[in-house]
Amino acid sequence: MNNLSDMLWIELRKAIRSRIPLWTALGSLFMPLGIAFLIFVSKNPEISQKLGLVGAKANLVAYSAIDWPAYLGLFGQIIAAGGFILFILIISWIFGREFADGTLKDMLAVPIQRSSILLAKFIVVAIWSAAMSIVIFIAGLIMGAIIELPGGSAGVILQGSALMAITACLAIGAALPFAFFASVGRGYLLPMGAAVLTLMMTNIVVLAGWGEFFPWAVPGLYAQGKGSLPPVSYWIVLLTCLGGMIATYLWWKFADQNR
Amino acid sequence: MNLSIETVDLGKTYGDVRAVEHLSIQVAEGEIYAFLGLNGAGKTTTIRMLLGMIKPTTGFARVLQTRVRPGSRDPWESVGYLVEVPHSYPELTVYENLEVARRLHPGTPREAVSRMIERMSLVPDADRRAGNLSQGNAQRLGLAKALLHNPKLLFLDEPANGLDPAGIVEIRELLLELAHKQGVTVFMSSHILAEVSRLAQRIAVIHKGHLLQELNIDELERNRRRRLLLRVRDVEAANRALVAAGQPAEILQDGTIQLKNAASVEHPDDINCLLVKAGSPPTRLMVEEEDLEQYFLRLVGLNRGMQNE
Repeated sequence: MNNLSDMLWIELRKAIRSRIPLWTALGSLFMPLGIAFLIFVSKNPEISQKLGLVGAKANLVAYSAIDWPAYLGLFGQIIAAGGFILFILIISWIFGREFADGTLKDMLAVPIQRSSILLAKFIVVAIWSAAMSIVIFIAGLIMGAIIELPGGSAGVILQGSALMAITACLAIGAALPFAFFASVGRGYLLPMGAAVLTLMMTNIVVLAGWGEFFPWAVPGLYAQGKGSLPPVSYWIVLLTCLGGMIATYLWWKFADQNR
Repeated sequence: MNLSIETVDLGKTYGDVRAVEHLSIQVAEGEIYAFLGLNGAGKTTTIRMLLGMIKPTTGFARVLQTRVRPGSRDPWESVGYLVEVPHSYPELTVYENLEVARRLHPGTPREAVSRMIERMSLVPDADRRAGNLSQGNAQRLGLAKALLHNPKLLFLDEPANGLDPAGIVEIRELLLELAHKQGVTVFMSSHILAEVSRLAQRIAVIHKGHLLQELNIDELERNRRRRLLLRVRDVEAANRALVAAGQPAEILQDGTIQLKNAASVEHPDDINCLLVKAGSPPTRLMVEEEDLEQYFLRLVGLNRGMQNE
């Protein structure tokens, strides 16, 4: 793992200068803003009636988030689903752009271990995804305060923070294997397509009752059940994450790189 | 002789497509070796195999006495390369792109970046985003990345691409200086024979994945076809005189007499005297030499060579 600091510098510099973090931060704000808007609509029946279907949806969301604990639980689920897609977008850019922009070849015949190059990329993905989760959480807190949700206390917020943090870690862990799809697909499309397919499969698997054994269902179930999952679920997420990272490494090391 | 590059029966197959087959070459230290071929001949595939980016289907390669293996860290410390289009990170400036290249080659001093920017005449564009560079300057940036860490061996795929005539001369002089003064080995690919003949000491011609010919620059000169062309008023009389003097002449469709033997080509004055004495003095006498492009196309079987031959 020599030269990891140099590789981190490279990855962070590319990310910061690309303005993609700014766009992802703005994108992540849509989630808390959207939820707050729906709760606001449901609290104002005259607006709700005028909006028709949106009003009905707003009432449904408001029913799920009648107070701070329920609201923070809802945010955990948003991180598990919406955050997951956002994390895949970040992974697709960090890994897929080397293929799409043709810059990969400059990293191949160099006196640096591929493992260092890849580890730096994974670390930046994790930092960036965690930062986006924090943005979503803080925006959610501000919105919750603005719409004056009842039942808030330091303990509730702290509990909600822990739930969000663990859900985000699980979602990031479940998202990291998509670096393999970005590498094999040599761009952005395959990981994004695979992410959508995974979310669809997650719904089916959860309905079938096997969600706790499906790594991509675990973050959502964790947020829903507030941690009441068997230990094997966490191990499955961890092993999936490690398996995806190892597969990505092996692909970068042994696959023919024609671009 | 120290070899910088050696390939033994190197080959790469993609399904039914044989991109490169049975390639065995040796490149000595300090040599400028050119790999010449049409688009799709297998030049880039070979360079990628030499750089460990793709695995050969058969054979193996050694670079700087180290056997090339996929994903290995050796021997890339002393190797610089520019493969195909010189892509850089578009959001980073020229300076930052070179800083990235510097960090990918540990031990390269920080000052090397500024030095290389000056050497490649990129000072006015140093703070410009690479995505906004002209094609020529993007090529210069690609070359700067390849040269930044003072490599002993350079792989350059079409190094003159996108450069204007002044840039081509500048890069040619730079490569000649690197090879002759610093002993850097240059392995370059091109599809322009005239350009590589000005640079390379040895040329390998590759076509459809096969090595057709490997020759020194003086051999290339010798192999190029030459002929003596004559125009006379009485073609039949002139031809009789030439045949009688033992000169194997050919009459072309437009009535021009063609002589291909070395004696005629090297001493056209003797042929002139012969015809004057025979009463058929030439009205036109010209030694024509096959140009490099014609020679190359003849070699790869796409052209018979000189016009009317």
